[in-house]
Amino acid sequence: MSESSTKRILVIDDAALVRTYYRTALEAHGFVVEEALNGLEGLEKVLLQPFNLVIVDINMPQMDGITFLHTLRSRELPVSGIPILVISTEAGKQDMAAARRAGANYYLVKPIKQETLAEYAAIFCGAPR
Amino acid sequence: MDDALPPITEDEFRRLADFLYRRTGMVFTETKRYYVERRILERIIATSSQSFAGYFAYLRSEVRNEVEHLINAFTVNETYFYREDHQLACLSADLLKERVMAKRLGDTIRIWSVPCSTGEEPYSIAIWLLENWKDVDAYDIEIVGSDIDTRVLEAAAEGIFGKRALMRLTPQLIDRYFHGLDDERWQILDDLRQSVRFSRVNLIETKETKPQGRFDVIFCRNVLIYFDDESRRVAAENLYDNLLPGGFICLGHTESMSRISPLFEVCRYSGAIVYRRPQELRA
Repeated sequence: MSESSTKRILVIDDAALVRTYYRTALEAHGFVVEEALNGLEGLEKVLLQPFNLVIVDINMPQMDGITFLHTLRSRELPVSGIPILVISTEAGKQDMAAARRAGANYYLVKPIKQETLAEYAAIFCGAPR
Repeated sequence: MDDALPPITEDEFRRLADFLYRRTGMVFTETKRYYVERRILERIIATSSQSFAGYFAYLRSEVRNEVEHLINAFTVNETYFYREDHQLACLSADLLKERVMAKRLGDTIRIWSVPCSTGEEPYSIAIWLLENWKDVDAYDIEIVGSDIDTRVLEAAAEGIFGKRALMRLTPQLIDRYFHGLDDERWQILDDLRQSVRFSRVNLIETKETKPQGRFDVIFCRNVLIYFDDESRRVAAENLYDNLLPGGFICLGHTESMSRISPLFEVCRYSGAIVYRRPQELRA
């Protein structure tokens, strides 16, 4: 795999088990995965490293997903333009609307099959190889 | 080493067995004499005691955690990943399905592995759920591993395993969830280490079991067999209190809760027999 074809994804979720679940799904399809435990740490990572996609949970300590979205979208390009996929157990219309207003590209409700996650990642990033 | 010390007399053996029973609930009869004597001699030498009497006095003086060291010497810790996996299959196929019926997405599911030894069982539960439970990302899964033996808890938190412990895992699973340290040892991924919390618990001490809180599912395999009837009953009552109403407990395949306590109801699933704390009845 050449350097330019590497697709990097940041997974932000406070549950270690969930991060492992998403990571194994994405790595199996050739994506490179970084992790953060909450929005604050996620923000730090996107400011330091380039990502093709950020996958973010809503309910998290320190900084929740909605605040993360608001904060990221208010930054300068190219950081503010990273595609963001929200994955949450919050399944209400108002939750999806709030995420969209905050700048989410797309919203999926947990539980997510590993295959499905990889398909969405490929839609946003292009196939990793 | 046996030559240097006089053999332990019957009376000494009985006093020590009494002491261990009072502290741990484990019963050591004359038939376990060789097993007990070996471990006592190890501790006599390790503590530079001159005789059994000297060692026993030291033990009872409760200095330098000797009781803990002795208990550690008596616990059997060898186990492996995916042991009795029909129960893990039952967990993902049946037990959790029942437990989540009364929950909302995002709610906490608590699973307790006790005794957890060096971590094979709680980590197996985590890996099994990642591989086999479709709702694994939709609930906040909290796995707690507890043991009476503080040495094994340290090892469990470190999460380093040899070939024997991993023999039932496919190479694919090992690749996915471990990283190799050398040819003989693998360490479980940091995220998995973080997903399990470890704590020291003696199952017959209610003041130690109670703070663990209530669980949806408890795995308590192959420990009650070491207890006598009375300690077994106390442990069963403690475990009952540690279950949420409707929560399940899985024992080792040779064990039966029906012989120990009438508190639980038996549930038969395709893969396993498990016991359940009945739902609370309204008065």
